[in-house]
Amino acid sequence: MTHTLHRIGSAESLKEDYVVLVMPSKDINHEGSGPKLRRFLKMALEAGAVKIGDARLGNQYHQGGIDNLLNNVEDRAVVHGVFKDQDALIRILQDLKAAKLGLSVVVSGLFDEVEACCNRTGLKGHTINQSLGRWGRTDRLPPQEILEINTMCGHGMVTVGLIEEVIEDVKNGECTPEEGGERLFKPCMCGIFNPHRAVKLIRTLAEKGD
Amino acid sequence: MQIDPDLCTGCGQCLPYCPVNAISLEEDVSEIDLDECAECGNCLRSADCPVDAIYQQELVWPRTVRSIMSDVLTIAVESGISGRGTEEMKTNEVTGRFKLGFAGVAIEVGRPILGTRMYDVEKIAQAVAQLNVEFEKINPVTSMMSDPKTGKFKDELLNEKVLSAIIEFGVKLEQLPELFRILEKVAGEIETVFSLDVATRIGPDGTVPTASYIQDAGLWIAANGKTNVGLGRPLYQEKTQ
Repeated sequence: MTHTLHRIGSAESLKEDYVVLVMPSKDINHEGSGPKLRRFLKMALEAGAVKIGDARLGNQYHQGGIDNLLNNVEDRAVVHGVFKDQDALIRILQDLKAAKLGLSVVVSGLFDEVEACCNRTGLKGHTINQSLGRWGRTDRLPPQEILEINTMCGHGMVTVGLIEEVIEDVKNGECTPEEGGERLFKPCMCGIFNPHRAVKLIRTLAEKGD
Repeated sequence: MQIDPDLCTGCGQCLPYCPVNAISLEEDVSEIDLDECAECGNCLRSADCPVDAIYQQELVWPRTVRSIMSDVLTIAVESGISGRGTEEMKTNEVTGRFKLGFAGVAIEVGRPILGTRMYDVEKIAQAVAQLNVEFEKINPVTSMMSDPKTGKFKDELLNEKVLSAIIEFGVKLEQLPELFRILEKVAGEIETVFSLDVATRIGPDGTVPTASYIQDAGLWIAANGKTNVGLGRPLYQEKTQ
């Protein structure tokens, strides 16, 4: 499951895009993990997460609200918080270190920035996962700026057609970039799409014109 | 997925939600091309059809693999988790799955955007099987192979379309150059794309053991990725002592 890997973008844009995943391991520490996962999600909200999500049961819209998302977390879930800056990332890492949940924590983001945040909190990377990009018929892919939005949902639920529709609607004044970002978040069932970053990308594309 | 033509009003609201453009408007009614549909469920869940015309038909083998590989909320029996992959490096500090001197490799065929037929997945799996790799047993893709030693898939699956399929295995670090050569060759023989990633333990001195292999091969590498910060317990080392 590599759904937070392979995000595309400039360093400037990716500096506003971090996902913190927390998960148990099957048959090692998954029993009784549900309450710990729930605790992380609450900590993430307090630390300023843009979004929280649950890859097992769906995002806040699919589950009928944040309270349901929190209440429904199961033992085998993979849950996330999406963060937009280093300050919030440092805070959640500090809180996770102090909480000693005993569950695995993975941070997706620019390696140098994540390492700097880990250093500030006394954490060290154990294992990393590197993206070597896209291979094969890359000539069939849409332009880079569309991919930058699309790849924020690793499962491909934020489709090219929907992205283009939202950009067109913003261009025509039928919705704001913020409303557009939220519309794009909804199909991302895991809730790892970063609408904060999307708003900036949508605004730029809408202003670019045809 | 299917759309009831008697209910559909042809508003077209569902069209942009299909990641593989399998929905079209035919004579003012939306229609799903079942051969192209990957059964991801996105239109049913997110398009908010005003007349509830979209419905999930009963899926039977081999079409069921489309849902397993494409619908994020389907729980794979093999891994026990949602999505099409495994815990991979995310729990490595407690599982010890990827040890020093080794790299975990994931080839996600069809990602991003294009999706894939399983015959392209087989083509890549058979190519990397030349390295005598052991495909990850709990990855649902491995269970679709009729011969995991050669990367041969069950014949009835080959034309099935999925959003993506992850071929997952481990290699010794010194096998990476040959793996990259094999992938460069097979990349020219497929109809779709794949996203490639490698996972590795960070060395005791903070170095990344895969870095020199990637650099020597002249490959592009992303500045962003995933870092497991080692907070899971019990640690694998502790468990084995």
